[in-house]
Amino acid sequence: MTITKSDIEHLCGLSKLNLDDDEVPIYLQQMTDILEMIEQLQSADTNEIIPMAHPLDMHQRLREDIVTEANHRDIYQKNSSHVEEGFYKVPKVIE
Amino acid sequence: MERFTVKAIQNMLSDKQISAAELFDLYRSRIADYDQSLNAFITTDVLPNTAYMTDDQDQESPIDFALTGIPYAAKDIFCTQGIKTTCGSKMLENFIPPYDATVVRRLKTQGAVLLGKTNMDEFAMGSSNETSYFGSVHNPWDIERTPGGSSGGSAAAVAAGLAPIALGTDTGGSIRQPAAFTGITGLKPTYGRCSRYGMVAFASSLDQAGILALSAEDTAIFLESMAGFDPLDSTSVEESVPQYSQYLEENIKGKIIGLPKEFFDGSLGSAYEALIAESIDSYKKLGVVFKEISLPNIGYSVPTYYVVAPAECSSNLARYDGVRFGYRSQNIEDLDQFYRTNRQIGFGQEVKRRIITGTYVLSAGYYDAYYLKAQKVRQLINQDFARAFESVDIILGPTTQTAAFKLGEKIDDPVSMYMNDMYTISANLAGLPAISHPIGFVENLPYGLQLIAPHFKELDLLNLTHQYQKVTDWHQAVPQLLQSSEGND
Amino acid sequence: MHWETVIGLEIHVQLACDSKIFSSASTAYGQEQNTQASLIDLGYPGVLPVLNQEVVMMAIKFGLAVDAEIADLSIFARKNYFYPDLPKGYQISQYELPIVSGGQLFITLDNGTEKRIGITRAHLEEDAGKSIHDKFPGTSAIDLNRAGTPLLEIVSEPELSSAKEATLYMQKIHQLVRYLKISDGNMQEGSFRCDANVSLKPKDNTELGTRAEIKNINSFRFIENAINYEVERQKEILEQGGSVVQETRLYDSDAGETRSMRTKEEANDYRYFPDPDLLPVKIDKEIIEKIAASLPELFNQKVDRYVKTLSIKRVDATAIAKNIELAEYFEDALNTYNGNPQLLANWLITEVMAILNKDKIEIASLSISAKSVSQLIQRIDDGTISSTIAKNIFSQLIESEMSVDELIKDQGLEQISDTNEIEQVIRTVLNENQEQQDQYLAGKEQVLGFLIGKVMQKTQGKANPKLVNDLMVEILSNH
Repeated sequence: MTITKSDIEHLCGLSKLNLDDDEVPIYLQQMTDILEMIEQLQSADTNEIIPMAHPLDMHQRLREDIVTEANHRDIYQKNSSHVEEGFYKVPKVIE
Repeated sequence: MERFTVKAIQNMLSDKQISAAELFDLYRSRIADYDQSLNAFITTDVLPNTAYMTDDQDQESPIDFALTGIPYAAKDIFCTQGIKTTCGSKMLENFIPPYDATVVRRLKTQGAVLLGKTNMDEFAMGSSNETSYFGSVHNPWDIERTPGGSSGGSAAAVAAGLAPIALGTDTGGSIRQPAAFTGITGLKPTYGRCSRYGMVAFASSLDQAGILALSAEDTAIFLESMAGFDPLDSTSVEESVPQYSQYLEENIKGKIIGLPKEFFDGSLGSAYEALIAESIDSYKKLGVVFKEISLPNIGYSVPTYYVVAPAECSSNLARYDGVRFGYRSQNIEDLDQFYRTNRQIGFGQEVKRRIITGTYVLSAGYYDAYYLKAQKVRQLINQDFARAFESVDIILGPTTQTAAFKLGEKIDDPVSMYMNDMYTISANLAGLPAISHPIGFVENLPYGLQLIAPHFKELDLLNLTHQYQKVTDWHQAVPQLLQSSEGND
Repeated sequence: MHWETVIGLEIHVQLACDSKIFSSASTAYGQEQNTQASLIDLGYPGVLPVLNQEVVMMAIKFGLAVDAEIADLSIFARKNYFYPDLPKGYQISQYELPIVSGGQLFITLDNGTEKRIGITRAHLEEDAGKSIHDKFPGTSAIDLNRAGTPLLEIVSEPELSSAKEATLYMQKIHQLVRYLKISDGNMQEGSFRCDANVSLKPKDNTELGTRAEIKNINSFRFIENAINYEVERQKEILEQGGSVVQETRLYDSDAGETRSMRTKEEANDYRYFPDPDLLPVKIDKEIIEKIAASLPELFNQKVDRYVKTLSIKRVDATAIAKNIELAEYFEDALNTYNGNPQLLANWLITEVMAILNKDKIEIASLSISAKSVSQLIQRIDDGTISSTIAKNIFSQLIESEMSVDELIKDQGLEQISDTNEIEQVIRTVLNENQEQQDQYLAGKEQVLGFLIGKVMQKTQGKANPKLVNDLMVEILSNH
């Protein structure tokens, strides 16, 4: 599977990453190597095999519908520098 | 400078040879004196957990919990309330969690004393502790070499005697490989055995909290307090926690260990092979029986892992956007550029590489060929193990391809770095418990041996390793770094 | 060219749970920003989701009520995209293996016929937070209280053929979720949100046309307008030989039109994959059976019961049952009532609903208890008061602390049923209104009403109207 520069750009767009111009060729080469290694999977015979999403054969536990969380806004918001009147602030979203 | 085991420390405390406060100071000064050459710690200015300590060694000790007064180090991936938790990343350089990880809370409740947070590959992505924003960690056996990764800091700290025991995490071998590279014992428990709550997620279906220690006995002591169901973690299992330390002396005669032929295909160096043969002999003398088995799909482990782990991590790391916590660039007015810049600067290269890989394998048009395919191959590997365990109790193999390599040797070649994990990854894919313990040296560098057990059979891993460690002393070998130092403690 | 309209609706219903779908923070509406956002809702490092049991129960209730399949094993998936109100950078939703699939609902068209609308699926997901764009200059303000609130997304088959049908379907779902008590359906508060996928195709084509999605329609009034506008807009494009762009549009209620949303990037690739922090949800047959047995009476069953067991006219039964809270008020009143239920029903439909409409309140805010209404009608029934007086008492009940009987006693409102007393008043009225009396005797029968009115006036409305009528006629005929 060959990966191109515009593929990298597209992937960066989806995952919100910037790469410097001089980084791109390096990433492109490394990604090419990685994808080549991953390609080995295609030779595995997985006919009729169910995908394994979890190591254990378990089902989801359910929790009772009770409110146990208190308001800790002031403590939590200590970790952000851009808070005003209790709101988180981000560059303006244009819709 | 002596490396005290947890067991020895427990005796010293109960015999009142030393007080918990003195012990804490002892390790703190060792860190201050020796960590410069290792860079094993990121944060060391942790206030002692004074509830369990007295200054006066003659005083009555407070109520004894299982781990009262035992100092330990925690990989900087475990959230510690009020104490910086960086995950080895600029993104969380100043992050102070308002909560403890469940395993940290449990150790705290049992009286254990946190010494500091150890260095690690950024967000647990790496096998050499060279991707940390806070600089590489050095191997106490040869400071030009890596201690392994991603729990490199924890391994180096324990091997060097800067902490008697340490927490690590293992997603593809990140506890076992560093344990092998530094000559100590490292355990990855069964997936779901220990809670993942508060343990920053890299690859959710593979991550497990585990232990780096000087012996199986020490590992058992800590595992008893750490393990167990947690309602805050939907993937934690309601399986009762045995008193592991009570099982160490169980008779291992007649236990059957499987040797997968795919692990012994002649690609290991002859010196390492010789060490493995010797350790097999030691086990045989203890009454263990060996048998050849096959894990036909094991060769797909690395490609499978490098699809599943990046996929999960690309999603797990999307929350690092600078809005509620974490690195945030100033003065950017466009939202898209805001996200991109925060993440460009906050994340290192390996993390970005894995995010891009993960995004790729999940993207439209590629999901079936990559992610879905990998999850199917994962099932094949899981089935191979299940089949093998029908006729053997334990599986044995190498932990790594080689001994610790030099810093800088593989960092520019990701695929070569990834191949490091080829022996350890399969246990993560199948969720099986696995341990690495030291079995000797080649050219003064330690090597480890890996044992893999069925789900929730940590007992057997610890039992076997303990019996091995009773008749050998590889685990007691002390690195040059410490031998040459005339410490006065 | 004859164009057929094809509409599919996606309705997001906020489930009425106390705590969020994956965290134990409160879901209460209208709280101060970020005071109900737990670490899990904020997407902090290392925290993990745990599923709320009630959410699963509610989804099952819905599925059973629309004759759908309840999945034996159901999976949560991550929908990955970046937006400031989405803290984790992904929404936990369901993709393959939703909890509910393949249901149906029947709508009653204007001509009285029923049309079956298929429900493709209903799945569980978490709500995002809120962004406020005009609070601070140059920045958007983010409130994550709503992040993690449980949603049930109900997707219809594209089987609605007009704006009117879409409105009926939307109303039906709205009524249903309130009947089931899985949501309060409050559109102003965002508990019930509707997106419409609209496309046109040439009649008799099987292939569907390109559709546009109209987002966040939050009132019944708007849905019809929005869809009609959109249909016309697409028709115009197609008739001029153009093609409809597949896009998301917002309805501008002031301008009465749909507008394209300016999105920052092309169609997002959400990269759905099963969430590894959550395990498959297993639903046993026993649970489904238990919930099925405890399902409340639904609309159609209620109407039928009112008609069959209470002998209420179908049109009135429908009017009451339309709103579950009104129906519950009615049934509450019936508990203490011994007369003809139709009379109670009449009162509800006329007097009670008049107040609700005038004051623009819901029945829950009405200060008159169901018991009071039942007492009032009881007193009309047993002849203590006339219906005119009852209306007077009813309006007093809004403010008064007194009961119906206390008010009657206190103001001496008992009906006058003494024939002698009434006769006397009649004779007085006839004496005072000779002209009208003569008119009546001359054959102008409508004047009777005037004369009766005079009697009612003189008795402050307390005279038994039927007796007044009968006696008046008798006296006049004996004249």
